[in-house]
Amino acid sequence: MEDLELKSLLASYNQKLEQANVLNLQSWVLNVKCFEDLQKQKATSKLKSLIAFKLLAIALGILWVLFLGNLFYFSLHSSKIFFTVSVGAIFVINLAAIIVYVNHIIEINKINNSESIIKAQESIARLQLSTINITRILFLQAPFYCTFWWNTNMIVNDPLRFWLISVPVALIFTLASLWLYKNISLKNANKKWFKVLFNSPEWKSLIKANNFLQEIETFKENM
Amino acid sequence: MSKQELQAELMELINDNQKIIYKICNSYCSNKNDREDLAQEIIYQLLKSYRSYKQEYKFSTWMYRVALNVAISFYRKKKTADTVTYEPVLPDFKDDVHSTAELENNLAILARFINELNELDKALMILYLESKSYKEIAEILGISETNVATKISRIKETLKQKFLTLN
Repeated sequence: MEDLELKSLLASYNQKLEQANVLNLQSWVLNVKCFEDLQKQKATSKLKSLIAFKLLAIALGILWVLFLGNLFYFSLHSSKIFFTVSVGAIFVINLAAIIVYVNHIIEINKINNSESIIKAQESIARLQLSTINITRILFLQAPFYCTFWWNTNMIVNDPLRFWLISVPVALIFTLASLWLYKNISLKNANKKWFKVLFNSPEWKSLIKANNFLQEIETFKENM
Repeated sequence: MSKQELQAELMELINDNQKIIYKICNSYCSNKNDREDLAQEIIYQLLKSYRSYKQEYKFSTWMYRVALNVAISFYRKKKTADTVTYEPVLPDFKDDVHSTAELENNLAILARFINELNELDKALMILYLESKSYKEIAEILGISETNVATKISRIKETLKQKFLTLN
């Protein structure tokens, strides 16, 4: 196929792309005149449901943190040192996760579609990937669920059970959560343990975002 | 400028450039409902971003940026949601009675080829089809002019090869 022939074919294709299905779409463009109604019907309902879901997650998180804060505050006046430290740590970790989540929403609102395609799509993909940090942080609280019920009496009265069962279990959870914190990364997305642990559609969409980010990188390269 | 005046001004500009919306919706969506949803989403985002429109760019450049960004995000969301069932269908060109059988055939091959491109190459192709200058394509996409030229020449070469193999 000659250059000229290809050029003419591309021109015909372009013309057809502009004209095909125009009648259906034109009605939407004409509807722009009553944009406020249009906005109420579909576009905002999608956005609202997305934001509503995130806000609900934050609201539930705040309630949980308030409950933990309350427990922590009252335990300060008791002599339950393990309980206080454990609840305090869970409180701090959950608070950190909420802060990351709120920041996530702020960043979503900052996305500017009028930026260049590469810049805007890169920010969207990176933002999607940042949700992984929330999961990593939340895993850190696991060992503290093994220690909050500890007390000095059980160490004194039943040391064998404490040192042979409770401590090793807490240690295993600590090592596991630290390992997960370090290794939950999309670099490991192809590993078997990762696929077993994160087999939900949300995680699949993160992997897709990561692949897209790689596509963007390739696109940016002048090969 | 009041919100109403701003809206009215934008509506006029959208109407003058409505072909951009049709072209992008036809390129990124396979069915009527998706096309309508995408058209609506594009218009919504245009209105939302209009205050940030800088006169340093042509309106069509800005509109292409917003519309392509919305279309790529929409397409990716759709692809993720319908992981198993989603398969892009070629744009429906059947209404045109003036086309010859050979042209129809070539257009179908071209449509299939463009559909197989990834989201970013497809955006590049849409802009190239519009006969935009390399400078403007580079501004819309956010890559260098040299990069635009290299990519377009590579896509054209692949396309020629495809026609050679098929015909």
